[in-house]
Amino acid sequence: MNDNNKVTGTPISRIDGILKVTGKADYSTDHPVRNVAYGILFKSTIAAGTIRTIDTAEAEKAPGVLAVITHRNAPKLNVKGGIRGGAMLQSPAVDFFGQHIGIVVAESFEQARHASRLIQVTYDEAPAKVDFDKLAKGAVRPKDKEDEKRGDAKAALSTADYKIEEVYTTPIEHHHPLEPHATIAEWNGDQLTVYNSSQIVNGAQNATAATLNIKPEQVRIVSPYIGGGFGSKGGQWANLVLTAVAAKVVNRPVKLALTRQQMVNSVGLRQQNVQKVSLAATKDGKLTALAHETTTHCAINDEFVEPCGDCSKLMYDTPNSLITYRVVPMNLILPTYTRGPGKSTGSFALESAMDELAYKLKMDPIEFRIKNEPERDPSNGKPWSSRATVQCLREGANAFGWEKRKPEPRQQQEGNYLIGYGVACGTYPVHQRPSSALVKLKREGSTVTATIELAAADLGTGTYTILAQTAADALDLPIGNVTVRIGDSTLPPAAGSVGSVGAISYANVVNDACMKITDDLIARSGKQYFARPTASQVMIAERIDTFQARVDSKAPEGADDYSSHSFNANFAEVRVNMSTGMVRVSRFLAVTGAGKILNPKTARSQIIGGNVWGIGMALTEESVVDPRWGNFVTRSLGDYHIPANLDIGNMEVIFVREDDTISNRMGVKGIGEVGIVGVAAAVANAVFNATGKRIRELPITPDKLL
Amino acid sequence: MRPFRFTNAKDAASAVRSLTGNPNARFLAGGTNLLDLMKEDVERPDELIDITRLPLTQIRTITSGPNQGGLSIGGLGRNADAANHPLVRQNYPLLTQAILAGASGQIRNMATNGGNLLQRTRCPYFYEVSMPCNKREPDESSARAGCGALEGINRMHAIFGWSEKCVAVYPSDMAIALAALDATVNVRKADGQERSIAFADFHRLPGDTPEKDTNLNHGELITAIELPRNRFADHSYYLKVRDRSSYAFALVSVAAALEMKENRIVQARIAMGGVAHKPWRALKAEQLLVGKEASDATFRQAAEAEMAGARPLSHNKFKVELSNRSIVRALQMAVNGGKA
Ligand SMILES: Cc1cc2nc3c(=O)[nH]c(=O)nc-3n(C[C@H](O)[C@H](O)[C@H](O)COP(=O)(O)OP(=O)(O)OC[C@H]3O[C@@H](n4cnc5c(N)ncnc54)[C@H](O)[C@@H]3O)c2cc1C
Ligand code: SF4
Repeated sequence: MNDNNKVTGTPISRIDGILKVTGKADYSTDHPVRNVAYGILFKSTIAAGTIRTIDTAEAEKAPGVLAVITHRNAPKLNVKGGIRGGAMLQSPAVDFFGQHIGIVVAESFEQARHASRLIQVTYDEAPAKVDFDKLAKGAVRPKDKEDEKRGDAKAALSTADYKIEEVYTTPIEHHHPLEPHATIAEWNGDQLTVYNSSQIVNGAQNATAATLNIKPEQVRIVSPYIGGGFGSKGGQWANLVLTAVAAKVVNRPVKLALTRQQMVNSVGLRQQNVQKVSLAATKDGKLTALAHETTTHCAINDEFVEPCGDCSKLMYDTPNSLITYRVVPMNLILPTYTRGPGKSTGSFALESAMDELAYKLKMDPIEFRIKNEPERDPSNGKPWSSRATVQCLREGANAFGWEKRKPEPRQQQEGNYLIGYGVACGTYPVHQRPSSALVKLKREGSTVTATIELAAADLGTGTYTILAQTAADALDLPIGNVTVRIGDSTLPPAAGSVGSVGAISYANVVNDACMKITDDLIARSGKQYFARPTASQVMIAERIDTFQARVDSKAPEGADDYSSHSFNANFAEVRVNMSTGMVRVSRFLAVTGAGKILNPKTARSQIIGGNVWGIGMALTEESVVDPRWGNFVTRSLGDYHIPANLDIGNMEVIFVREDDTISNRMGVKGIGEVGIVGVAAAVANAVFNATGKRIRELPITPDKLL
Repeated sequence: MRPFRFTNAKDAASAVRSLTGNPNARFLAGGTNLLDLMKEDVERPDELIDITRLPLTQIRTITSGPNQGGLSIGGLGRNADAANHPLVRQNYPLLTQAILAGASGQIRNMATNGGNLLQRTRCPYFYEVSMPCNKREPDESSARAGCGALEGINRMHAIFGWSEKCVAVYPSDMAIALAALDATVNVRKADGQERSIAFADFHRLPGDTPEKDTNLNHGELITAIELPRNRFADHSYYLKVRDRSSYAFALVSVAAALEMKENRIVQARIAMGGVAHKPWRALKAEQLLVGKEASDATFRQAAEAEMAGARPLSHNKFKVELSNRSIVRALQMAVNGGKA
């Protein structure tokens, strides 16, 4: 088959689309399970201290109630089993506001919720560490993050011709996937089946087993469809295992879904970051120093730090570089991976600073970036497997009409609106992770069909579709003859859909498996072929009815000798209402070098999804903690403002051609994260170009532009 | 949600009677506010009386009485229908704009006009039952008495008319237009009689009784909202400033309505949302505008006269200047018949 006939790389619609729009795709709590009871979690109303008394008597007597489980009667769990964030009812200690302190199980959801409100709790309160602004001064170096120094950035800064030293802050953000975290747990003897949205199917299996002190073989995770996760369903949280505990206690399947209000302190968050970026440059715009110093917070007894300095390590060529982190433990839920972890937030600081320095140097921000393009990865000296930054900037500038941009702010006005253009770059690393896959072929007459099986995850991004495309091409079958089965821990183990490794790892292993099954069939036929036949040709010629093959794949030899990343350039046009300070992104263009694009349609949606969240970061999204009590005051989607349709203008996506088979044989790079990286800075830079106001504190709400 | 009894009201008289008989009963209209509050355990009625089937949905021209020639809008009509009715669009475009600036299409299809007036504040401390809130817990001996917002996160809160007891703002957009348009609210009382409440007297400032949002008595049913005839249709505008372009409550909103003769302002009405516990009529600004030529300088002067009385809280000082600009902008837009 020649390339023109390949289905990979064509913009077909999601093969699971019809199931989804007709409501036939079963998300976690949609699975029909007989005799199911309903659980609801209840939460602490202080941020630090211990539970003194917890009176459940009235709740236990309430209609329909089957059990009330608290630290007093919960079974002993292994809190180091890999479930994130604690809160597993193992002690009376309270470490953050809204920590789970119990679970009510009843015949109906309404009965469970009603009973949960009859529970009386008293506490011995301890002073809570919840005011980040006050605590930040006491931040310390994280255990696993050494300061990274090359040359002497501070010295270079002190003698620089031109420099910028500014502080950029980003607030706490929440993932808030459309589908809140939800679970059904069902025991069959000592076998546990868990229907649960899981970005890492085998990870959920192992963590559940270890926490419950049982063997991984005793746990089956079923997660065929996921209603978004953005990192919050990567690691699993207490709600999963507590559902299993509840099912054991009541000896029935239990269904437990978090409410939207509970999402803010149950499943992680993106922490608040205060980032100081210092840049120094010569008169003609050559960077001489780059320092990126991040201060942030983590849980009171567990560390997680977003790598905000990652982009700064490798985006630009500079002889002197300094990357540091300081973290302060707080009585807030453990932060976790959130789309473009560290890169989306870090790029806001770095790429804003680049824009500020370009303006000081009176250089075009695109030319300034290109001038500092590094030939090799400055952080480790490795050659790039490929790097499309310059191409993205050039092609983007053309497509966007960058030449119309006025270098000075406030030069473009239409009626009551100031108009501005901004640009910013981004990057995200590329890795192929070990995965296994099974291909099963079946012949009926002269029709061969294939089933592909692996414990992969589809977050709603199109995994089913790209795997069907990959297999159809590798087996030379019509795509309609390919069935993809994923999202089940009984299938061959696979990487998670996290860190942009999903498509890379899955597409490669599926391709490898299809190659192997073809090889095996040829071997079995015992014949010599002039031209390599396809698997189905052998099946038909040899009248083989069923055949299967399994492979385990990992990154190719030597992949590690190179630095592999996706790169992008983002262009934003904003319109700022001069009276009200309301900002609208009227046009946005993302140009991305992400290797081979398996499906331009789902890839485009992925990039747009990242862009929209990036616009949300820039303009609207902020989770606010009351610094007295540690509670979130933004508990609903009415208060936590994700962008609405009207906030989003014309979105354009361009993929530059890249042929890079160094990091993986298929030449795929990730697109899940890179789409959000650099977006907020592009918008903030456009706001500066429009208004002359440099906003270094996200989100850019109207009050900041008055 | 606590267990509750549910009944369908057959007619207005029996609805009012049932409600009056039970202090813990509530009318259920569109439910878009009440049910949310019940799920969060903020409202705890033990009886819901569904009034959506009562025939109080009409929109019609008033043929007698003080508002003769004006428009009557049924208390149980849907927000979306009120916004899009040809007589509203034609004679009260300010109301159309205000309704459409609120909530979302789905919610406006469910929400009723009476329910909209009675929607409760969006103060986050009111919504979370573990937080102190005098509006939710008026009993001073309650463990949750106090005002969480007064010294807490109060960016969204009031700059006019607040008290130490409560600094909440009233969230409706529709009502801001109604305040500017001098509407009256018709209610049916427990004794079967009707009474009319001038819009300015309908909602309350918090004072010492923040639990009371309005002067409606328990058991009273909103049957209609009446709009007097006016000459504002050519020169009105509803401006809503918010943190995102739709589906967010106002930081500040301004309903501006002018009667113009050439470039001279004959009459002016300005009401503001997002600034107080009730729709805030900017009477000082209105007075300053009457008889003047329309100009940016005059608008700014009028705005500043009004805003001089503002008392911002720790997180919402920006609302003062934002209000100044919003008043100016809304007036500019009104002069231009709503066009930029
Ligand atoms: C996510 C979201 C966003 C929103 N955004 C906005 C916004 O931007 N701007 C805005 O203005 N609004 C907004 N709203 C609020 C919405 O407009 C109100 O919820 C709605 O108008 C309430 O009407 P309802 O008929 O559903 O009232 P219900 O919830 O049924 O009732 C509200 C209260 O009024 C009482 N009641 C209802 N009808 C009568 C009557 N005829 N007589 C006496 N008492 C009565 C009920 O007993 C209840 O106490 C939003 C709501 C939501 C959920
Ligand atoms: S402002 Fe009013 S509603 Fe908000 S907490 Fe204070 S008393 Fe309650």
